[in-house]
Amino acid sequence: MILNINGLYKSFAQSDSAQIEVLKNLNLEVLEGETVAVVGQSGSGKSTLLSLLAGLDRQSSGSLRLKDQEISIMSEEKLTQFRAENIGIIFQQFYLMPHLTALENVSLPLEMFGDEDSHLRAQEALQQVGLAERENHFPHQLSGGESQRVAIARAVVIKPTILLADEPTGNLDNATGVQVANLLFELVETTGMTLLLVTHNTELAERCSRQLTLHSGTFQ
Amino acid sequence: MKKASLLFWPSLALRELLNNRGFSVFFMINLALGLAGFIALDSFKESLDAHLGRNSQAILGADLALTSFVPFEDETISLLESKLPENTRSTRKISLFTMVSSENQTRLIQLTGIEGEFPFYGKIVLQKGGAISSKELNQALDVAGKAWVYPELLHMLNLKIGENIIIGEKKFLISDTVIEDPSSSFSSFGLAPRVYLAYANMKDTGLLTKKSRVSFQKLYHVPQETDLDVLTAKIRVQIKSFTGSDSKIRIINHKKAGNNIGRLMGYLNDYLGLVAMIAVFLAGIGAAYLFRNYLVQHYREMSIMMSLGATRQQTYNMVLWQLTMLGIAAALLAIILSMGILPLLPMLLEKFLPSGFETHSKFSSLIFALVLGAVGSLVFCLPVLSRIRAVQPLQLFHGNIGGQALENPLWRQILSYLPLLVLSWGISVWQSHSLVIGSAFVGMLLCAVLLLGGAAWGILVYAAKFSRKPAGSPSVWATMKRLAFRNLQRNRSGAISCFLALALGTLLINLIPQIYQGLQEEVNRPEDHRIPSLFLFDIQPDQIAILHKVLKKEQLKLNFVSPMVRARLEKVNGEDFSTNQEISPRTREAEREQHIRGHTLNLSYRTKLSESESIVAGRALATSFDWDAGVPAEVSLEEKYAERIGLKLGDLLTFNVQEVIVEAKIVNLRRVKWNSFQPNFFILFQPGVLDDAPATFLGALGGLDQSRRLYLQNLIVSEFPNVSVIDVTRMVQRVLKISDQMILALRLMAYLSILAGLVVVFSIARHEVEGRLWELNLLKVLGAKFSDIQKMIQIEFAVLGILAGLFGVAASLIMSYGLAWWFFENIWKWTWEISFISVVGVTALSIGVASLATGRTLKSSPLSLLRSS
Repeated sequence: MILNINGLYKSFAQSDSAQIEVLKNLNLEVLEGETVAVVGQSGSGKSTLLSLLAGLDRQSSGSLRLKDQEISIMSEEKLTQFRAENIGIIFQQFYLMPHLTALENVSLPLEMFGDEDSHLRAQEALQQVGLAERENHFPHQLSGGESQRVAIARAVVIKPTILLADEPTGNLDNATGVQVANLLFELVETTGMTLLLVTHNTELAERCSRQLTLHSGTFQ
Repeated sequence: MKKASLLFWPSLALRELLNNRGFSVFFMINLALGLAGFIALDSFKESLDAHLGRNSQAILGADLALTSFVPFEDETISLLESKLPENTRSTRKISLFTMVSSENQTRLIQLTGIEGEFPFYGKIVLQKGGAISSKELNQALDVAGKAWVYPELLHMLNLKIGENIIIGEKKFLISDTVIEDPSSSFSSFGLAPRVYLAYANMKDTGLLTKKSRVSFQKLYHVPQETDLDVLTAKIRVQIKSFTGSDSKIRIINHKKAGNNIGRLMGYLNDYLGLVAMIAVFLAGIGAAYLFRNYLVQHYREMSIMMSLGATRQQTYNMVLWQLTMLGIAAALLAIILSMGILPLLPMLLEKFLPSGFETHSKFSSLIFALVLGAVGSLVFCLPVLSRIRAVQPLQLFHGNIGGQALENPLWRQILSYLPLLVLSWGISVWQSHSLVIGSAFVGMLLCAVLLLGGAAWGILVYAAKFSRKPAGSPSVWATMKRLAFRNLQRNRSGAISCFLALALGTLLINLIPQIYQGLQEEVNRPEDHRIPSLFLFDIQPDQIAILHKVLKKEQLKLNFVSPMVRARLEKVNGEDFSTNQEISPRTREAEREQHIRGHTLNLSYRTKLSESESIVAGRALATSFDWDAGVPAEVSLEEKYAERIGLKLGDLLTFNVQEVIVEAKIVNLRRVKWNSFQPNFFILFQPGVLDDAPATFLGALGGLDQSRRLYLQNLIVSEFPNVSVIDVTRMVQRVLKISDQMILALRLMAYLSILAGLVVVFSIARHEVEGRLWELNLLKVLGAKFSDIQKMIQIEFAVLGILAGLFGVAASLIMSYGLAWWFFENIWKWTWEISFISVVGVTALSIGVASLATGRTLKSSPLSLLRSS
């Protein structure tokens, strides 16, 4: 088992000191290589769940184990390192560094940790997403679909244990969205990575081996 | 897990800066403009120090000099010279201030008698004779009664080379003019041009009597390997063992001579440095504002970095790298700019600088600039850096990056400003060489920033009133005015930064002329007969009655006749008062104290205080003294003099009045209005104590027009050759002319500050408009014309300009009044013209600069604005 969530709660303090519970008693087990889609309406807690899984936020209570390690008790530094080694994130808005080329964007997470083969590995990743020709282009010179493919390459270049995707096709037109989704699933299949994606798109969700619906902070 | 390569973070930081060229360029220009004046000044100071260091031997004309106000005794001199190493060469020099006359005019001069090898270093260059060697010197001056004079004397007396002048009792032929004198200093301000005679001819003038204050010098050229400091100390010990007039011999080596000459320029440099600091401060405000907005815009990139595995510390480090790079680049730009400013300073301060002075940019100045640029940019932006804490990568999932409010506790906010305060204080103290002045400057700057910042905040709150929609259908003008006020309100940090930059700049450009105007007004009042026209000194006691008689014939009265008795303060409350002259003082206060302690004092006594004096502490001096009563005499001290050397009411002072020990107790402190130009003294004795001590007298004549001044000056010099006369009116004009130059240099720095302030306005206006592209675009789509939007921007910056101008002027008036009250005995006059021009000028500049900064963006079509947004 790659991911084990047990009795997970997340609440936020309101301005009037009341608490609002966004996630309530979530339980989830995900196997290695499995693809899981989390669907739900806006405000159901999807993004909050993703930020907890990415180690970008801390749960209020419960357990969140990734690769048999409880990430909620890790120090900030350890968590940063764990994320850099094990978690690939794909954002809806791509979030590429505007001043770096496609190749530099992809090699960035490798260079940050002194990987001597960063250049080569980034080139391979770009090749995998079919953008070898565009490696010297800056984000503003790429289309939306190309930008998302670069973001996917950046997420997979570290060979993560789990790939987290937040509405990966949400900012793309239908045709481009399908192309990007095809690429994503192909990559997951060939590399054996685990994928957990959050989406509104039912077609995209149906391509996953398991679908979960989040409603008012609980799985239904 | 490995770490990133050493160059990874710096290169990433650089890439980001290059990608944000607009921000980087404006940040650099902002900071560079502030630093440029500062760096130019530092190079100027370094050049002056280096020049004085290099030429100190030429300034003294020797390695070592012994000075005495009485002729050296042979026995004393041979005892002192026995301490000198073998192969030491020596020469003699005499100098005194006296009057010189042509057929119909007289002038005060510094008469100098030289011989043989003078100067050992450097060369006197004559207009006709060129550079003079020691052999030529003997031939040229010794042969007959010849004199070399400074060219300005020929101009003053309307004479030419080949004509005669009368010095004392003898006529001398002007054989040449001195066009270069390595020993010339700027301390005499050209009030008393120098005249050289042969040493042997000095006697013929009849001035080397006890009636004149003559300085006798023995100059030495010692072998190169001699340790001058050790030798000086050894001779000083020997002098200390002497008694009588021999104990008053002073020894000076060339290093000290250079320092003495540089002192006046040092004071001016101190103040120039402080004014230049304001430019740095204004530039810092602009840089911090730009950086704050840059950071806010880059929260997304920081979040992405963190989501990819960067720690918060690494994110901080990358920003620190960026600030360091920008600071260094700004310093490099400032160095280039300073090369343009540097040549202006010697041009403006020509009269104060030694001949042959040239400016050079020293390597140490460049390093200083780079360090200041890097550290300055970090320190200025430190309060903004804490905002990085607001960056949360999880917001990448929510799309409101950096949107949440950052709750910064007050202690953390104050702490983040502390390095800026400490750095400002450190640089101010270092620049002013004074703990008191440096601290007062930072205190005043802080007060000004807090007061003006508070005023700006209040204005913005009040501006809310004008940003409400009026009832009915408002005109386009009213709408634009409302929008302008609303913009001011919502972008408070930008508005306050602009306001501060403009108000501080206005304060500075208004403050300097405001103080100067008051002083000028006071010293230049022709109708004020209390200010003397002629000032007479070196009057011998037996000449007083005759002088009164001569003046009575001219229907004039000699006023303020004051005796002057020379003495030394040996002990205070039984403790030795002398100071170690070998120690180099670190602050101006210590330097001044050492100067005071090391010099002979001029004491006086009078039965009642003059109009320009008032007692501020203690009681009036007793009018008579009983030597047999066994109680100390009573003295009055000028309050600031007492403060400088740490004396207070009740202190017991032991004076050596020409080998008679006199004890005196401080019974009052006086405030003296020095700009009255009346004879005043730091130390006044009660009558009856010094009456029998050898004294010379001072006196003044008032209410004379120019021709009468000239006539009387000539009359006095012909009747009393030893009496020196200063034309006070001419001196005041001369001092004002010199002050004009100083003021011009200070204004140059002040204008640099206002320029730095305008760059801040330009940067903020440009940034604000770019940040509001979307709204401006919408306004255009909704039908607003270019002129309407331009009007809105102009209203915004006109409001800022006019209010900043008014508050800046008000602050400068308060500050100038305070300074006038504290330093210049309340000489203050509001020059409304300066205030009016400042307010109008700053408002016009604010509107102009804002229009310039925003014009291009405002003119672009709504379509392109839409695309870029």
